[in-house]
Amino acid sequence: MTAAPTTGAFAAPVDLNHPGHYLHWGVVQISVANLVVMCLMVTLFVAALLLPFPRGRRDDE
Amino acid sequence: MKSAQVPESDAFPTRRYDLVKEFTIALAVTVLLSAGLAGLFSSPNVPPTTLASWSTAAPNDFTATAVAELAGTSTSAQYGPPYNHVPGAGQKIGPLGLQRAAGVRIPVDPAEDFVLRPLRQAPEQPEVTAALAQWNAASADQQQSWSSAYADALNKAPDGDPAKAAPGDYGPVPVLTARLLTLARAGSLDGQLLSPGRFYQTAYTKPMLFLADGLYLSDRATEQHLTGAQWGMMNETGNYPGQAWLWLSTFWYQIDPFKSSKNADAEIWAIMAVLSLALILVPFIPGIRSVPRWTRVHRLVWRDYYRTRR
Repeated sequence: MTAAPTTGAFAAPVDLNHPGHYLHWGVVQISVANLVVMCLMVTLFVAALLLPFPRGRRDDE
Repeated sequence: MKSAQVPESDAFPTRRYDLVKEFTIALAVTVLLSAGLAGLFSSPNVPPTTLASWSTAAPNDFTATAVAELAGTSTSAQYGPPYNHVPGAGQKIGPLGLQRAAGVRIPVDPAEDFVLRPLRQAPEQPEVTAALAQWNAASADQQQSWSSAYADALNKAPDGDPAKAAPGDYGPVPVLTARLLTLARAGSLDGQLLSPGRFYQTAYTKPMLFLADGLYLSDRATEQHLTGAQWGMMNETGNYPGQAWLWLSTFWYQIDPFKSSKNADAEIWAIMAVLSLALILVPFIPGIRSVPRWTRVHRLVWRDYYRTRR
């Protein structure tokens, strides 16, 4: 059974209520949506490590 | 002494840090992101599975499940604690019967709660009242014999259609289950199975157990990749991301010996409890507590400081 489409003024610009896409690799089965979120989290983590701290003012005392 | 090697805190360089400002910025960014993403993607919008939708979409499955409830052969009837007393039922960790130790906390008698009581509560036609009286007057063996015979007949009928079941001695079972199907399709059974005596009707245990005894809910879950064998704990309906952080809990269900174990839930619960405890105790576990020092990630974060120190 598929989801009832949201219609009218409340319809979302991107409708994700469609059958999900899944990747299989041995015992691993993961949805593309979860994979995207995981990649974003890893990217944010790496960026937090590598991006320099902002240098607005030097307040070293 | 080790403490003598650590400089006093005022010997380190310092910088101004506004905690309130950082909190305010983080809160504003989180609110904007949440509102923006909700506006862009909305939320999962799959119609709920109810007794009404089940009995309308799969009436034969509904009838077969109602017969199994009367026969006492459904999953709910055989589940054991916390719903009912069934000898030998319940998951264990080794010799430790956790489920049995917790006891029967939410008593459920599937035949009575899912089938007979809803029929008694509704104003019924004479033939249904007579069928209920016939059922109640019969011995437990006779009830079992009627319901088992009807379950077998439905199994052999094309598509499990009650109308095509071979004639036999099924007692009042066909009348009772046919009336229950009518009640369910009208939507009244959903309300009747909610726990009475409360202002807010939020105890969905009984309708959920009844639904889970049939094949319809399981088929819908499989279709949406939500079953345990499909890493379902991590998934959401449609193309939405789910609970990715539960990957380790659901991972165990995919491999032996857990995937074929009758005690998988209890065993995996124990494994996750031990691993969670180990995570809490990381600062006290020799070797593991030194991983940050070996990986030296902090030197990457504070590379400016360590560069100037060289």
